[in-house]
Amino acid sequence: MALAERPSENDFAGADFAEMVRRHQSMVFSIALHFLADRSAAEELAQDVFLQLHANLAALKSEAHVTFWLRKVTAHRCIDRKRRTRPPQVSLDDVPEPSSPVSSPDPLLSRRLRQMVASLPEKARMIVILRYEEDLAPGDIAEVLAMPVGTVKSHLQRSLAMLREKVTRAIGEVMI
Amino acid sequence: MNRTEEQLKAALRREEAPEGFTERVLASVAAQGSYQPRPSHWLHIFSPPVLRWASAVALSAALIAGGIHYRNVQRERAEGEAAKQRLMLALRIAGSKLQLAKAKVNEVNVRDNDSKHRQVKE
Repeated sequence: MALAERPSENDFAGADFAEMVRRHQSMVFSIALHFLADRSAAEELAQDVFLQLHANLAALKSEAHVTFWLRKVTAHRCIDRKRRTRPPQVSLDDVPEPSSPVSSPDPLLSRRLRQMVASLPEKARMIVILRYEEDLAPGDIAEVLAMPVGTVKSHLQRSLAMLREKVTRAIGEVMI
Repeated sequence: MNRTEEQLKAALRREEAPEGFTERVLASVAAQGSYQPRPSHWLHIFSPPVLRWASAVALSAALIAGGIHYRNVQRERAEGEAAKQRLMLALRIAGSKLQLAKAKVNEVNVRDNDSKHRQVKE
């Protein structure tokens, strides 16, 4: 049996690891990409997260547990990585281009928004990503980031107000 | 959900992982696995079970022997201390007896000298 299909005590942990990676890679990569605004750094971080997952498979009990664990580990790794490295100047060119056709009516605005999200403080940025990319409720975000729900809500409100103001200003600039 | 939130949702939609991502993860897992089985640390010589048991028994025996030796040393030290105390007491008693004998001798000598002086006068 291949190493990646390591058998284990419980049925779940014995599941095909490759299949598990395929199922969750988009989620892990996207969280890292939107947070780090750097494709190669995001891929590197996502790979590390899956290596850690492989080492911890026996402790995970269900598919939902894996999803929760992946979000939590990815979020914490992203924040740690950003704290360790000097914050780069996020330019429009650094912000990832979408790989699939844009569903938003305004691709430029989407790009600008990603740039604005990437410039938020670490925790606020991760909260916004988990809320709008992963569609998590404030309670779930609080659990993933191990912080009070009230803190999550206030971060969300502040970030939204700031983004709204920036968007309005950006649209104003475009109109002029 | 207001307009900004909808725009955020559209801007932050999930992206596909790069081509070949799963294969690279599996290759890393396999590569990491091949390094793991044999620890490079010198302690790996204790990894066979028989050696582990033998080490545990030897360590236990050494601890027991050390404990017994320590207790013997403590007992000998206590006995030595008691003997020293007894000797000191004996010396003190002997010293006081000698003082007493000396005083008696002096008293007898004084009495003899007095009687001799009296005889000479007579």
